[in-house]
Amino acid sequence: MSQWGLAWRLFRRELRGGQLRLITAALALAVLSVTSLGLVTERLKQGLNEEATRFLAADRVLQSPQEVDPLWLERAEELGLSVAKVLSFQSMAFIGDQLQLVSVRAVTDNYPLKGQIEPLGVLPGRLPQSGTLWFDSRLHHLAKTGQTVELGDAQLRLSGSFARLPDGGFNLFASAPLVLMRMQDVEQTGVVQPGSRLTWRYQFAGAAEALAQFESDLLSELTSSQRWLDVRNQGSPLSRAIGRAEQFMLMATLLGIALACAAVGVAARRYCQRHFDVVAMFKTLGATHRQVRMIFVFHLGLTTLMGIAIGTLLGILLALGMGSLLADALPMAQTLGWRPLILGAATGVVAGIGFTLYPLLRLLRVAPLRVLRRDLEPTGLAGWLNGLFALAALALLAWLYSGSVVMTLVLLAGALALALLLGGVGFVVLSLGRQLGVRTGSALQLALAGLRRRARENLLQLVGFTVALMLLLTVLALRQDLLEDWQQQLPEGTPDHFLVNVAPDLRTPISDFLAERQVEATDLYPVIRGRLSAINGERVQGAVSKEEDDEEASGPDGIRRELSLTYRAELPPNNPVVAGRWFGPNAVEEVSVESEVAERLGVGLGSRLQFVIGGRTLEATVTSLRQVNWETMQPNFFFIFPEATLSPFYPTYIASFKHPEGDPELVAELVRLFPTVSVIDVGAMIAQLREVVDQVSLALAWVLLVVAIASSLLLMAQTEAGMASRRQELGIMRTLGAAGRLLRRAVGWEFFLLGLLSGLLAVCVAELLLVIIKTQLFDLRVQWHGFWWWTVPPVSGLLIGLLGLWSCRRLLAHRCAELLQRQA
Amino acid sequence: MTSPTMAIQTVALTRQVTTLDGALTILNGVDLEVKSGESLAIIGPSGAGKSTLLALLAGLDRASSGEIWLAGTALHELDEEGRAALRRQSVGFIFQSFMLVDSLTALENVMLPLELAGSKGAEASGRALLARVGLEDRLDHFPNQLSGGEQQRVAIARAFASQPQILFADEPTGNLDHANSELVEDLLFELNREIGTTLVLVTHDLALAKRCQRQVSMRAGRLEAL
Repeated sequence: MSQWGLAWRLFRRELRGGQLRLITAALALAVLSVTSLGLVTERLKQGLNEEATRFLAADRVLQSPQEVDPLWLERAEELGLSVAKVLSFQSMAFIGDQLQLVSVRAVTDNYPLKGQIEPLGVLPGRLPQSGTLWFDSRLHHLAKTGQTVELGDAQLRLSGSFARLPDGGFNLFASAPLVLMRMQDVEQTGVVQPGSRLTWRYQFAGAAEALAQFESDLLSELTSSQRWLDVRNQGSPLSRAIGRAEQFMLMATLLGIALACAAVGVAARRYCQRHFDVVAMFKTLGATHRQVRMIFVFHLGLTTLMGIAIGTLLGILLALGMGSLLADALPMAQTLGWRPLILGAATGVVAGIGFTLYPLLRLLRVAPLRVLRRDLEPTGLAGWLNGLFALAALALLAWLYSGSVVMTLVLLAGALALALLLGGVGFVVLSLGRQLGVRTGSALQLALAGLRRRARENLLQLVGFTVALMLLLTVLALRQDLLEDWQQQLPEGTPDHFLVNVAPDLRTPISDFLAERQVEATDLYPVIRGRLSAINGERVQGAVSKEEDDEEASGPDGIRRELSLTYRAELPPNNPVVAGRWFGPNAVEEVSVESEVAERLGVGLGSRLQFVIGGRTLEATVTSLRQVNWETMQPNFFFIFPEATLSPFYPTYIASFKHPEGDPELVAELVRLFPTVSVIDVGAMIAQLREVVDQVSLALAWVLLVVAIASSLLLMAQTEAGMASRRQELGIMRTLGAAGRLLRRAVGWEFFLLGLLSGLLAVCVAELLLVIIKTQLFDLRVQWHGFWWWTVPPVSGLLIGLLGLWSCRRLLAHRCAELLQRQA
Repeated sequence: MTSPTMAIQTVALTRQVTTLDGALTILNGVDLEVKSGESLAIIGPSGAGKSTLLALLAGLDRASSGEIWLAGTALHELDEEGRAALRRQSVGFIFQSFMLVDSLTALENVMLPLELAGSKGAEASGRALLARVGLEDRLDHFPNQLSGGEQQRVAIARAFASQPQILFADEPTGNLDHANSELVEDLLFELNREIGTTLVLVTHDLALAKRCQRQVSMRAGRLEAL
């Protein structure tokens, strides 16, 4: 009892004396990072997914060429999921005396499960009544509300028109306009016959657990022609933004955790060092190893628990605050998940154990003889064990948090490379020469002499400072690059309208029309419909269906169906050639392929591709691979040919333009003047994308703040530790009559030089780390940060110099005797 | 084997350390006997091996060879835990630099050996001892709130708290002014007499050494009687 009492009493005093504060703060920060970012990310993810599911009109969609087993749908309903059915097929329709190919969507009563049908004018109800049809804007030149349409054997009345269906998708090349009807009217049309080409889309919405359960039940049952879609593989323009933001938050949080852990390690090392004398005294007074262990494990255990409690509490508060900030613009999920809380606590435990174990083991090995020989350090514990424990803890944390082996390995490789690089460089720099004497002539000389004399301690500090700066720089650069990447996709002037189905003879009138109104438009791209039939003489069926079995690798629909091909003399903007070369002026039978589709099809430079266009066969050799950013609102193509190759075929044209402000009649006039041309408005989609990017940017700023705080904490812990090693020397110098000003300036210089060197090393390592992260995790363009090289080292020198000065000022406020007598 | 009246006995005690220049002999075949209740001063120049001998006698360090019998126990045969147990039961310490635990009050510092030994009534004993050394009004002060003399008086109270058979003191007045030195010396010898402790004291101070019943001198790792 009395020993627990002693341990508790010591703990309270240590806490009051501030010795455990830094460890608690660092642990709390690690827990807070994981908890708050986890909670915010989870809520944001739910919110963004919610937003994105509107593109899907559901949470998940099962797409199948045949009707599925009704038991599957019963199972979904049993799990509490809502189910809607959509049957899509193409058919010819008589509208007045015109024959028009239309793409029919027949839907059940509860369609759409998510999102809304965007009306053109006023719609009479939520869905068309039985016996009626709604039609999309592309039929406006043919049809009017109230008109009767013949669809197969059925006579249906047009009762409304819409601008967009929530799952209308973004297929610019869908040649047939959409019509919406009720499922129960399909039979009456008689259009659906055995052998008809149909697409069934079963939409599901409901609780995440139920969806996950249904998904796991279903996936093994799916045939290769059936596809299970969620927001990610649906190819929504949001999915990439969400994916990268998640990835960034994960990475940044991991780096934040690594920083906080480093701070825990530094603070724990300092704490244990301060207790070497106490342990020696306890042992001298006859304390057993068990007693000493119990006392300090109790201290570090309680500290860990405190860190976890504070971190969790603050994390929840911050997440709530952040949530309410984000909720103004985005629908946020209302509940806080347990997973981030458990992960946060686990982080605290792992960091608490992994980063304090080595200092604690050293502390327990302090010999009682230290009471007589104060310079006696604990022995018998290999220094590499420290690195091993820290790396193991870091790996466990990275894996726990990210669940990704790749990310864990990247972090570990980074940490190892960093340790080696810093150790090597730092040691070489600091041991360039050992200095005899202290050279008190000037503060700078004193500082230089000090730096060399304390090479070993300074190396540790150098590592600490560098890690703090480097991780901060990495996160800063990643955030900036992500923002720029998004901005580049949606720069000012991003086209928000597409012109589709432009006949060749309308090219000039349309270009003139747009030019007269000073509308910024892309070039008109010819579109020729065709199919890929063989690769290197092998029929494409086999080559592609192999890919279809793999859910991850399944490509956009265009690959397996009819493709939109184009020809062009110049390389389109934003389509950098990544392999091979763009066509020469006399090129024939060549083709430029989008790099990702080339990879999926196993096609490279020199491959022979065969296409079937309008019943005719055409062969071409792949001479270049292009990188295409599908989120830029410009016409993009998988396959581009030289003009000579496709000129025998009849094209339609496509272009996109930015709707100028202050010309509200532009689209109406376009439709009136060119009734066969379809105008598609994607402005709403772009606005939504921008809003999401804005919100995610806010979250990224928050992540940056957490990392900056973790980084400052590590800097402070390291400065504090550094000052402790200078304490006695300062006491002696002060006693010998050195002026306080000289000592302060010398310490200032010493820390400035350390900061300068750390800054330089941090920039080197951050640039290296960014190359790894960008190429392995983010698929971002690698670029160097030239301005870092001349701004970061002096700024870090100044910052760390000032920290050192501040710390030194506090130290020199003590009396000399105190400095000499007591270890801080 | 030690006689029952012998508190400490060493036989051919040697301590060598390895340095860059080869093996260095710090203690060279030291034979020492200290009777129970006796007070012994070890004097000698710096580096003669006084503190090393003290460390070996108290079981803080291990000898390279030779035997040490402490309170009838073969110290040289004990492991780290065994030596700690022996110190807990039979040994008290006073150091030049006081070695108080900064985060504990004067009273808690005195209670410390009793608490580590799991003894009951630690607080009452601590209070009584601090009163005995004249610090009854300083019970709740922390070491940094006490003068050097007061700190050493707390250290003396702590040393006697477990009523040790043997007390080791390393330069107990080395950090104190004359007045405080006298006060601390008086207390040390008074308590030594009252409790009947065997006292082994390492010092440079000849006046202090003379207050002990016997003095030995340490020179180049060997003991010489004075």
